[in-house]
Amino acid sequence: MTTPALNTDLLLFAAAAAAKVLLFLGGAMGVTALLTLAERKVSALMQDRIGPNRAAIAGLTLNGLFHPVADGLKMLFKEDFRPAAADRLLFALAPVLALAPVLTLFAFIPFGDYVMLFGYQLDLCVADPPLGLFLLLAVSGLSVYGTFLAGWASRSNFALLGALRAAAQMISYEVTLGLTLAGLMMVYGSASLQDIVRAQGALIWGWIPAWGIVTQPFAFVLFLTAAIAANKRTPFDLAEGESEIIGYFMEYSSMRFAAFMFAEFAEMLLIAALCATLFFGGWQVPFLYETGFMLPGGAALELPQWVTALMQTGAFALKTLFFCWLQLLLRWTLPRFRFDQLMSLCWRRLLPLSIANILATGAALLALR
Amino acid sequence: MISVRKVNNRPLNFLERIYLVEIARGLAVTARHFFANLLGRRSLTVPYPERRIPAAGNSASRTRHRLKARPDGSPRCVACFLCQTACPARCIAIEAAEYPGNPVEKYPASFSVDLSRCVMCGMCVEACPEDAIAMDTGELPGGAASRQELRLDKEDLLRRVPGETPARGAANRLAEGPGGER
Repeated sequence: MTTPALNTDLLLFAAAAAAKVLLFLGGAMGVTALLTLAERKVSALMQDRIGPNRAAIAGLTLNGLFHPVADGLKMLFKEDFRPAAADRLLFALAPVLALAPVLTLFAFIPFGDYVMLFGYQLDLCVADPPLGLFLLLAVSGLSVYGTFLAGWASRSNFALLGALRAAAQMISYEVTLGLTLAGLMMVYGSASLQDIVRAQGALIWGWIPAWGIVTQPFAFVLFLTAAIAANKRTPFDLAEGESEIIGYFMEYSSMRFAAFMFAEFAEMLLIAALCATLFFGGWQVPFLYETGFMLPGGAALELPQWVTALMQTGAFALKTLFFCWLQLLLRWTLPRFRFDQLMSLCWRRLLPLSIANILATGAALLALR
Repeated sequence: MISVRKVNNRPLNFLERIYLVEIARGLAVTARHFFANLLGRRSLTVPYPERRIPAAGNSASRTRHRLKARPDGSPRCVACFLCQTACPARCIAIEAAEYPGNPVEKYPASFSVDLSRCVMCGMCVEACPEDAIAMDTGELPGGAASRQELRLDKEDLLRRVPGETPARGAANRLAEGPGGER
């Protein structure tokens, strides 16, 4: 047996991938934790209240910035209750299955173009599979297992009913979600997210950025609606129904319950990132290219590549945060749908509309060719 | 006469049925509030225990208890225990004592109300034969950092509200003797 030669390229690739995973996933989880606070603060501001501002470290409250820490600690110290009849393995597995797909999905989101580091070209995306969009749908479809197993493993009628409701809702809206993305693939001719973002850097008639919102405005509305519904958030939060309905995680407490909540908030961030990536040019800044700004009038401003990369990543972060904020705003504006309205909206409105969108996109592409 | 307001529930028109325009209008309202408050408009609520909004002047709510005082500052309470007996939450604790040389009345050596147990029902006020306990201070109890702060002693309770004329009691009359004013 011979020792294989040390493959420097592979090692470097592994190191770079690990660094990107740590940075991006760490960042995503940090923002998710802050979103739990933002949810409460934004709602407070919208309702002319002050919002949480008590959690303090050494008397320092920073207007409530420590509340996610306090919440996490509180959850850790709560009793971890499991119903006697519950399926031990599945009951423990369900929160993991709810959280894991969402965190996995962050890997497919490109958060920048590339950056040159010590002569190496570092792609600012953890993984860019050629069929990323399909993989995205496939992995996000897995999260229904977590939801359903939570209700089923609890051996509680209420939790099971809640799980049935949630599963029906999630599966229904996954269909619309997938079909809305088909139009994008047709327009940009690729299922790789990085390719889609790069294609959005093109200009229509020399001055309009070819962002998804320009080429597929209708799909954006459908996508946002379906994504929020698949994430079980207001106005489609019947799976949980905070104030009155009993949801699938009824029997969960302590950190296991927190895992479900965290998954929901992480998915919110994911939806925001996807909206930015697919419909608002991802890391693209209008008229900013590798070499710098090139305005349609002919004016140009050359920038070093790392400045460009930094601006692009910053633009991506800003767009993502905007859509997080939009989802919070939606949540605290709209009342909840009834379950029959929810189902009718999905199967009788959104699904035909998303199919019509595909047909219209196809017709437009044919006509423009 | 009962006034009747006829609500014209017209069917939704097309733009309203597809929701999107109405959702955008709703978002505009909430976003307006969000940005107005973000840029410094004051919120309607206050950080409660530190800052309190006084109850409305005509408020008839039952608020924090007080013991009424006589002109000489002694409590009107005669330690009859009726309020303690009437209290469904058992939050009143009285210790009775006697004035030296006064066979007519007792007085409360200690009188405490445990606000952490009080249900603000007002039974103590109803029960009092001397009209000695009242719930008219206008202060809403609560928002304390410890249970001890919610325990009101005689010293906390004994006070007058502005504009109140203190009534004299049997002990005052006794102390003034037969020639004293009525």
